[in-house]
Amino acid sequence: MHNELVDDGFMVIAVAIDEAVDEVRVLADGITYPVLMDPNHLLTETYAISNVPAVVWIDEQGRIARPNANEFGSDMFSEFTGRTCQGHFDQIRAWVHDGVVPDDADSEIADLDEDEIAARLHFRLAAHLRRAGNEEGAARHFDAAAELAPLDFTVVRAAMPLRGESPFGEEFFKLLEEYQAAGSPFHGITPA
Amino acid sequence: MTTITILGDEVATATVEWADGRPLIDPDALSAAVGWTLKPEGLCRGDQCVLVGDGSAIRVGDKLDLAAVANAVDQPTVIDPDASVVVLGQPNATRQAALRDRQAPDFTLTDLDGTVRSLSDYAGKKRLLVAFSSW
Repeated sequence: MHNELVDDGFMVIAVAIDEAVDEVRVLADGITYPVLMDPNHLLTETYAISNVPAVVWIDEQGRIARPNANEFGSDMFSEFTGRTCQGHFDQIRAWVHDGVVPDDADSEIADLDEDEIAARLHFRLAAHLRRAGNEEGAARHFDAAAELAPLDFTVVRAAMPLRGESPFGEEFFKLLEEYQAAGSPFHGITPA
Repeated sequence: MTTITILGDEVATATVEWADGRPLIDPDALSAAVGWTLKPEGLCRGDQCVLVGDGSAIRVGDKLDLAAVANAVDQPTVIDPDASVVVLGQPNATRQAALRDRQAPDFTLTDLDGTVRSLSDYAGKKRLLVAFSSW
């Protein structure tokens, strides 16, 4: 998408809500647009992002043309999500070429509540303590974060590799099940 | 007096006294710690000032209560006295400007080569911001 539209005043900016720079480097192999690291989850605070992937359309003036949406960049997970990325790509082409935004661009995104905000700060504190070698303190704050925002993937799933758990293992499927049972509470648009 | 780490826009250190789990800081040290300066007109950062009345809500003796300062400027905090760390979150107004007023918050992060980049470096383009992860 970036390469197709780069001469039309469009670009992709990718931000990894992640501290595993080597693993992100593998994912970013061959990519020509900026790939930024956000180990402190700044974007989850300022854009109310609660799961990935999340895309935000930002226009030339820095206004949000379409808020947080759960769109994928490939069909790698299509079997899992029941969606393909083609629809989103066509919408981006219409936006770049004709300035047309989809009807869901007016969607209101629910603000984070106090617990969800506090969970993000506990996560940041836990990640800091872990990097400083304070495993016990880190565990305490990862636990506090998960208690405050138990269905937030940027809080609970992001902590899994930092706690020695697999983000694709049993803990993840348990989280996914609870998330779906709660109606998949994503802060943003979840296209049908 | 103990040294604490403050995780805000930057990582800073400050010397504080603890009172009932609340860090108290010398007013002269506030700016280096949290980016806000106490002036006669209020708490100020850049050209922005937040009124604090007579200051009684943020003062404890000749010190300032860091948590009360953060509250006054509408930045959330988490305080861990055992680890001597204070996390100072992004202003709630920044996120509300994104959600309500559709103003994209600017951010500055490093790329995979360690180069510092901001969203605003690319103003004038239509930008697809993609948040992703390896987890």
